[in-house]
This record gives sequence, C-alpha cells and structure tokens, in this order.
Amino acid sequence: MSVPPSSAQVMASAMAVGNENRESESFKKFFESWLVEQNQHLNELLTASTQHSNNNSSNQGEENEIRQLVDRVIKHYELYYAVKSSWAKQDVLSMLTPPWRSSLEDAFLWIGGWRPTMAFHLLYSKSGLQLEARLGHAEFYNFDLDLDLADLRPAQLEGIDSLQKDRIREEKEITEKMAKQQETVADSSMVDLSHVVSELMRKRSSEDGGARLEEQEVQLSVESALGPKEEGLEQILQLADDLRLRTLKGVIEILSPIQAVHFLIAAAELHLRFHDWGKRKDARQS
Amino acid sequence: MTRICCGVVGEAETAAPVPVEAKTTSARRRRLEIRQLKLISEVQAPETDRKKRKLNLFPSSREYEDARDKRSVIMENGKSYGAPVGLCSEKSMTVAQVSVDVEKETVKENPKFGMTSVCGRRRDMEDAVAIHPSFCRKGGEMSSDFHFYGIYDGHGCSHVAMKCKDRLHELVREEIETEENNMPWKSAMKRSFSRMDTEVFEWNSSYSSISNCRCELQTPQSDAVGSTAVVAVVTPDKIIVSNCGDSRAVLCRNGVAIPLSSDHKPDRPDELLRIQAAGGRVIYWDGPRVLGVLAMSRAIGDNYLKPYVISEPEVTVTERTEEDECLILASDGLWDVVSNDTACGVARMCLRAQKPPSPPQSPGSEGVVAGTAESSDKACSDASILLTKLALARHSTDNVSVVVVDLRKNL
Repeated sequence: MSVPPSSAQVMASAMAVGNENRESESFKKFFESWLVEQNQHLNELLTASTQHSNNNSSNQGEENEIRQLVDRVIKHYELYYAVKSSWAKQDVLSMLTPPWRSSLEDAFLWIGGWRPTMAFHLLYSKSGLQLEARLGHAEFYNFDLDLDLADLRPAQLEGIDSLQKDRIREEKEITEKMAKQQETVADSSMVDLSHVVSELMRKRSSEDGGARLEEQEVQLSVESALGPKEEGLEQILQLADDLRLRTLKGVIEILSPIQAVHFLIAAAELHLRFHDWGKRKDARQS
Repeated sequence: MTRICCGVVGEAETAAPVPVEAKTTSARRRRLEIRQLKLISEVQAPETDRKKRKLNLFPSSREYEDARDKRSVIMENGKSYGAPVGLCSEKSMTVAQVSVDVEKETVKENPKFGMTSVCGRRRDMEDAVAIHPSFCRKGGEMSSDFHFYGIYDGHGCSHVAMKCKDRLHELVREEIETEENNMPWKSAMKRSFSRMDTEVFEWNSSYSSISNCRCELQTPQSDAVGSTAVVAVVTPDKIIVSNCGDSRAVLCRNGVAIPLSSDHKPDRPDELLRIQAAGGRVIYWDGPRVLGVLAMSRAIGDNYLKPYVISEPEVTVTERTEEDECLILASDGLWDVVSNDTACGVARMCLRAQKPPSPPQSPGSEGVVAGTAESSDKACSDASILLTKLALARHSTDNVSVVVVDLRKNL
C-alpha cells in the first residue's frame, strides 16, 4: 500500500530540489497534501466530539486526549504558515494570488488568506446554531454544561469580545499598510520609468531595431523598481499571516478543550467545502 | 464585556478591624484598578446582617486571590461564575453613607443584576452600559436606595454614548438631590436628558477633545453623532424608565412582558406628526429615516438633525408589585431579533432555574446561605448572557447589550 507523502515530506523534498521546481508548483503540492491532512484531522475531531457527547461525565484521560488532539491540529496550522512564510520569501506574488485556490476563494481573500476577524463570525455562527438546537430542551437553561459552543460562559464571551476588538483594530492597521503599499505603484519613479520605457518602445518601432543596447539597461531598472515593492508586499503578507495564526490560537485559548474541538471542526468544514465548491465552479466554467 | 462582581454596599468600611476582610478589600481594590471600565455583571446579595454578609460573600475568596487576572480564573476555575469579587461602584458607596445606614439598621435592598455587552457581528463597538447601584440618596423619609441602569447605543461614532455613560447618572443624581419630597420624576428626568444633550453639544464644540475618535475626519464638528438612551431608576417602590431612541426597557410581571418604553421610530404616528410639524420630513431609505438619514426620531446628540430629532425622553413611572420578576434593558441588537415575550420567558426561566432559597438557618450554616447568594447573582448574569447568545444565534448584526435586573423581593 502506498502512503501519500505528508505535507512535511513534500516540503522537505521541494526545499531540497530548490529552484528547479517553480515555487508555486511546489507549494501547490504542499497545499494539497495539507488539505488531505486537514481532512484527516477533521475526522479525528468529529470522533472526539461524538465520544464526548456520549460520555456524560468527562474523565481526565479523555480530556487529556482532547487537549493533545487540539494541540496537534494547531501545530498543523503552524506548519502551514511556516512553510507559506518560507515560500513567500521566494515568490510573494503567487502567495498573494494563489493559483492553487479557486476563483471563488480568491474573491474572498484578504491579503492572500482568510480574513482574521472571520474567526469571530465563525464562532458566533456555530455557537448560535448549537444554541438554537437546544431550544425547547432542558439543556437550554443548563448553565453548568460544557458540551459545545452553546455553553460559552460569561467570562469566555468577554474574552472573545475583547479579542475581537483587538483583532479588528490590527486588521485595519494591516489593511491600511496594504493600501499605502498599493499606492506606491503610482509613485514618481514608477510613472517616470513607465514613460521612459514607453518612449523607448515607440522609438524602437519607428527606427526599426534600434536601441538594442538600452534593453538590458531598461530591464535592470524595472527590476530594481519592482524589487522593493515586492519586499513590501512580503512584509505585509507576513503580518497578515501572523495575525491569522494568532487569532486562531487566541480563540482556542479562550475555549474549553471540547469547545475548541467544535470550533476546529467548523473551521475545517468551512475551509474544505468552500475550496471544493470553488474548484467545481471553476471546472464547470472552463 | 461580561463580568460578574459580587460585593456589598459598605463592605469596604466594615472591614477595618478584621484582618481577613482587610485583605479581601485590598485585593478587590487591585482588581478594580485594572477593570474599572469593564464592569459587566454585578450582583449583590440581599443581606441585612453585616457579619453574615462578610462570611457569605467570599465563600471561596482563596480561589479568587490566586487568580491574578481574569483569564486564570477562567482557566483554572471554569465553573466559578462568581469569580472576581469586587465592589463595582465605589463612588456611590461612601463610607459615611454606609455607616449612617448601618447605625440606623435599615433593611437595605441590594440590587441583583447581570449585564452583557458585546461587539457581535459589527466592526465597531458603539454601545455603552452604565450601572450604578445606590447612585444617590434622598434625605429624610426617603432614605432608601435608588439604583441606576442605563444603555446607550451610539451611532456615527461611540463618543456620545461614552459621554452618556460617564455623565448621565451624575446629572440624574443632581436633579434628584435638588428635589424635596414627592419627587417629580418626569421633569427631573427630562431636565437630566436636556443637560446631557447640552453637554454633548458643548463638548463637540471644543473639538480638541475628540481627537481620538474615528468620526473626526468625517465631520470636523462631529455633529452627525448621537446615541440612544434608555435609563431605568429602580427605587424600593417604583421603576422610572426614561427613553430616547430605539433601545428598550421591558418589565416581566408574572410571566407577562410589559414594555416600559416605546421606541422612537420616525414612522411612529405621533413622532411623524411632530417631525412634520417642526418642518422635517421622514424619507424611506432603507426604512423610515428623519431627512432620509437617521432611523430614529429622538436621540442625544445629532445636532445637525435638530429640531426634528429631539433629546427629550418619554418617561414612565411604574409602581412595583409583588408579581414583578425582572426588568430587561437592551439595545436594538437584542430587540431586532428577540421579541419582548421571548426575552421575558428566557429571563424568567433563568431566574427560576436558581436554587430555591434555603429555609432560615441557624447562624453557622453559612455554607447553605452562601450557595443561595452565589446562585442568585449567577441567575441574572445567566439571563443576560443567554439573551445575548440568543441574539447572536438569530444573526443580530448589531452590537448587543443586555441588562437584567431581578425585581423579586425577599428571596
């Protein structure tokens, strides 16, 4: 039986090959094996949640297992961002418009990934669905339970609310940085360079083959103008990814282990299905 | 946002000679320093005996002392609802007042309430909540406690709502304290709101003070900013609700929801006539709006919409009865998705879910009494949090703020 390579193995081999592979191609492979693993984790999380709801009294052993599972899933997210970060250093552009994502996902990206504050909406939506499911049952008024996200306690809701306010602020700051970076596309050096190159092209077409010498020089100027712009983008992408990971961890820290399981289930389901739907849409249209 | 504090009026002062209590007091002060602005839920146990009070209210103070910050309380002591023990409104409970009270051996009714306020699915937090137990006292025959509960739902920016939170209870106190007996509630409340509106206007004019607001760039004079205000003053025999805007107060009496305020919507027939008489128009633009802009017909602030939008509150004075269960104040984040009846039903169930009061016990069985004190403070905050969660579950897209006040007597 052949075992598919893990995302970590894919990463290691791709790194070893170095620049021979196109970076985005290698990251695509990594991303796909990461999705397979996310799906495996989803199954483990689902098993843990059903086991928990079957055992009325949670025991210490079970809780430890759940904690370990949650840690493992978080580590998997950490791996994703660590790999993404190292690839972004080589090819930030494909990280910002990832060809491995569907155009549906692409339309909802914030700086090359999910919008951090979406985590709170995900939490409130899942918590709301689980609370509504209890309407009309005695559990609705049982405040000592710790079954799922319907059982958010006052202190937890307070923690979530204050984390949300912080993250909204940070998200806005990064959005603002991105705006500034995007505006530099029209700074005077870029406008000047685009004019010079356009002039050159016009001259060349009229003189028929002249100005060959200048071509290399022009190419160098273009690269030196675009280089810092890409570096700026890469820094912003790092900030955005860092905020995504910190938001995920921040939410998990506030939740109880079993609540974390339910949150991670919702996150994985939304991520995987949204990806599927987008892929299918793309396939239909092409 | 969500917080539970239990404390007792006068606790700080009773402490002096008792080492244990002194320790608790200083610990509480420490916590207060950190959390001054974040009060959410406070419940005070109905107690008349000072000594019992002390013993009852800190049943597990050791646990709390170890918890340096609130997160560790959550983590290590997950089921401890009563976690931070704190006296939430220092200002209103001065030592002098308390000692007078104790000397007189007055039976005091300490308020029990729960409060939750969250940003929810919005990207800006514009709600503010103010709770001030025993916020003023009347001399002479009316030497009893008045409690203040206010919810302010800002629009345009949060600064008017914040200003109301900081000031309105002080203005109401001033108005009450200048009155002699036979409190003319309606005029006193109207004057308070009018003064609040004036303060907001004056504060706006000195625009140097608003440099931290996000509204600054949009409107240099921040005239287009305002807030609703629904304020309940609960006295031993009355509930006085003053409302301006579309936040709401609902009384739950014997299972029936009785609204104590009426939302100021521009299409309310009498409000529509008033606006038109003043020369304004109501234009439907994503619902009825004054001049096509503001979706409520009264508010504090909103200078640019005067005289069509006014700050005068409608005031109701309701005699309390034995059948009163609780009072719910909330911003439209709740009322848009949860009906008055549903809210009352939910709050009522939460209050009833608490353990029945234990029969009178001989002194020394503090454990049992402590259980009651704890669960009663839990009940109100259970109610406020459950209503908030229900609003979020029903896709409320606004900030959600809920205050639940237990009105049952002699529990």
